[in-house]
Amino acid sequence: MSDYSWKEMMAVVFSREIEDTDKITSGAHTEIFFAATMLAQKTHAPNLKLQLGGSVTLCQVTDVDVPELPKTSTGYELIRYAESVHDHPDTFLFYGAPGGKDYYKDGSEYRDVNHFWFADKFFVGGIQADKWGNTNMIGLAGKDGKMSFRGPGTIGINDIAVGVRDTYVFLTAHDKRRLVESVDYISHPGKKVCRENEFYGDGPKWIVTPKCIFDFDPDTLEARLYMTFPGVTVDDIKANTGFEVKTATKVGSVEPPTKAELEALRTEVDKTGVLRH
Amino acid sequence: MSKKRKEVTKSIEDAVALIKDGQTVAIGGFGADNHPMAIVREMIRTGKKNLTIVASATAGLEIDLLIGAGCVKKLIAPYVGQEMYCPIGHNYRKYAESGQIEIAETSEYLLYAGFFAAASGQEFFAWRGGVGTSIPKLNKDLVEFIDPIGKTKKILAVPPLRPDWAIIHVGWSDAYGNGQHLGARFGDRWMARAANRIMTQTERIVPNSVIRKNPFMTTIAYADVVVEAPYGGHPYAAHGFYKEDVDFILDYVKCSEANRKGDSKMWDDYLKRHIRDHYAYLDTVGIKKLLSLYTHPIVSW
Repeated sequence: MSDYSWKEMMAVVFSREIEDTDKITSGAHTEIFFAATMLAQKTHAPNLKLQLGGSVTLCQVTDVDVPELPKTSTGYELIRYAESVHDHPDTFLFYGAPGGKDYYKDGSEYRDVNHFWFADKFFVGGIQADKWGNTNMIGLAGKDGKMSFRGPGTIGINDIAVGVRDTYVFLTAHDKRRLVESVDYISHPGKKVCRENEFYGDGPKWIVTPKCIFDFDPDTLEARLYMTFPGVTVDDIKANTGFEVKTATKVGSVEPPTKAELEALRTEVDKTGVLRH
Repeated sequence: MSKKRKEVTKSIEDAVALIKDGQTVAIGGFGADNHPMAIVREMIRTGKKNLTIVASATAGLEIDLLIGAGCVKKLIAPYVGQEMYCPIGHNYRKYAESGQIEIAETSEYLLYAGFFAAASGQEFFAWRGGVGTSIPKLNKDLVEFIDPIGKTKKILAVPPLRPDWAIIHVGWSDAYGNGQHLGARFGDRWMARAANRIMTQTERIVPNSVIRKNPFMTTIAYADVVVEAPYGGHPYAAHGFYKEDVDFILDYVKCSEANRKGDSKMWDDYLKRHIRDHYAYLDTVGIKKLLSLYTHPIVSW
């Protein structure tokens, strides 16, 4: 099989997606996204800004050494990488995406910071995701209004969705229990709901699983298969997805991690090999 | 000068005796950091019942412990778990799924909006996050309305959230209730400001001159009650003092998981070993373990 793990593949995929002028906010499952962000900084995006869950804004992490990927997003040790630390509620008020030349309007030197006031990109997990890109962190519906499975809770995903340019839904396994026709409860609204409610944020750009990437049909706003990961077939995805898998005109295949990407990831970012297993 | 300034320090027993069954108690900190664990354990030891617990924006397993110990009637929490160590709290799952606790579905900023409304004396705070989700359907305290200015967008009215107590861990405090965080403050200032009474748990009581040396650092001014509890955040980290005790957290995860799966003996045994007088608890942890958790202060205060 491949000589890299799905977690490494996911980190590389997100790293490629990150642009130099982005501000990224990372929530839970810190390891993959911290790694993706760090890798992007090392390879092509030295100006990106990363904000971790609790209250820390990390900037320019390229010039510091990170001995180990963090287990939590709020540890005291993370403060050593920070260029600013603020109260957590301020996260939602004062620390929006910074200016950056790739988002110029009318030839201006500066972007409209308040348009996407939370961040450019944010990663959202879920116990379920549906074809609209709605995700569920609340639970699975049981009998008499009770939940048969109590999920972790929505955390701040709904708050962030309003003001983040693109969210990326990720699932740590690809099966019919997770990818469903319609989620039992909505924590993170999909593209359609975001548009209907005139949010600044445009909702999910992708749903990423260990098998593939779904994007959204620009007309129907429904998920469609966009790219498969190396070695995965369209039939495999269809057989393991709980909604009808529609495909983009041409389904692409994700380029495996390059030698340079893997080397940077393993020697400069994930030195202890947390993502390798 | 005849009258002396009033000190507000209390023993942990006297402090926790002020918390009454059925009250609404907010527990500070965030994730695996800065939770007032010594006070939480004393609340369990003294058998508090029917509490409404308000968690921090991203609670850890301190809330799960209170639930598993039978202290909680209602929970207001955006999340209960421990990120990579334990994505979802096991007792939280057990009690939620069986309907033994009532949960007010919320989110990080909906919680803060409630604190903000309480702190600023407003009838509600307006927030759009949560519109288009299931949260307002599951939490009837949130009321959706149409923006009266632009006339199109839906907004949630978030009513004041006023805990009877905010229990907050601080790095150090003077005897008059002036506390300073020596690391991240998370949402502690908002939680404290929203509550009717503030109880701080401090690693150290310091002279008032230490506070006056850097008043910019004071995060909790004039707490009503101060409890000194060195290593009182264990097994979680206390920013500026020690990191989280991964072994202890994983042991907790194991025992609480057993409880969820029906092995209550392992859980009862866990409570017996850990719910003790604070210094007896520290003896259980052991001096070698405690000292190994030291973190060097990153910033000089």
